[in-house]
Amino acid sequence: MSRPNPFAKSPGKKVTCLEMLEAILDGDATEEQQEYFREHMDECIPCYKSHAIEMQIKQLIKSKCCGKHVPPDLVERIRNQVNSIS
Amino acid sequence: MEETHREKYTEKEKVEVFNNEFLPHINSMYNFGYRLTLDEDDAKDLVQDTYLKAFRFIESFQRGTNAKAWLFRILKNSFINDYRKKSKEPSKVDYQEVESYYNSDDVDRQITTDLRIESLQDMIGDEISNALNSLDVDFRTVIILCDLEGFKYDEMAKILDIPIGTVRSRLHRARNLLKDKLSVYAKKMGYKNP
Repeated sequence: MSRPNPFAKSPGKKVTCLEMLEAILDGDATEEQQEYFREHMDECIPCYKSHAIEMQIKQLIKSKCCGKHVPPDLVERIRNQVNSIS
Repeated sequence: MEETHREKYTEKEKVEVFNNEFLPHINSMYNFGYRLTLDEDDAKDLVQDTYLKAFRFIESFQRGTNAKAWLFRILKNSFINDYRKKSKEPSKVDYQEVESYYNSDDVDRQITTDLRIESLQDMIGDEISNALNSLDVDFRTVIILCDLEGFKYDEMAKILDIPIGTVRSRLHRARNLLKDKLSVYAKKMGYKNP
């Protein structure tokens, strides 16, 4: 693949696999960069594996780490307090 | 707070903004508050304080801008000012050291992990939650803000009052720490099922 790497900060500047992966994981990659990385993973097993693992972790976080539901009385308390000062 | 922006709201508008733009985020706020304090009662108090401050300072909020980020910032600051002092966990990490180490060009940053995807797929219990909670508060904060709440670098920088470069390096360090914790859990699970 000889096309320029869209992750490169300036033309010809080298980009590491890690830099690309981090941008992808942090939600900081453009459509073009995401497409480039998808194709890159076809040829780079470490990237493919790491990406799979990190996405699995993110999935776990999303499904297991937001289960804290607001206690029902809290909304009431807040509304009452705001009403008393407004 | 940075620029003291001043909106002019009528009392009715204040309540509207509060109900329509602030309160809808209460679930995220409570979850974040819990991840910071690791205590349900403290989380409730923290969220309540935050919403009270949000109402008091409502004129600093510009309608149509990112209410969630604005609220998260207040919550984070309230946590630091009011709760972190009495927190049971002293900061174990020297951030200067972590961040300068991590930004150094000499560091051979490789993509390596001995964590296997099958191990993650077996983690159907509290492993991830426990692993996250066991991270230092500043590390678990960036994971929550990025991976759970979907904030971008610049939003996180504003919420946390740190440069974008620091957001990045802290996030990457946090991910590695989380993987290390999960790796430990995975090994324990492996020992249970030879």
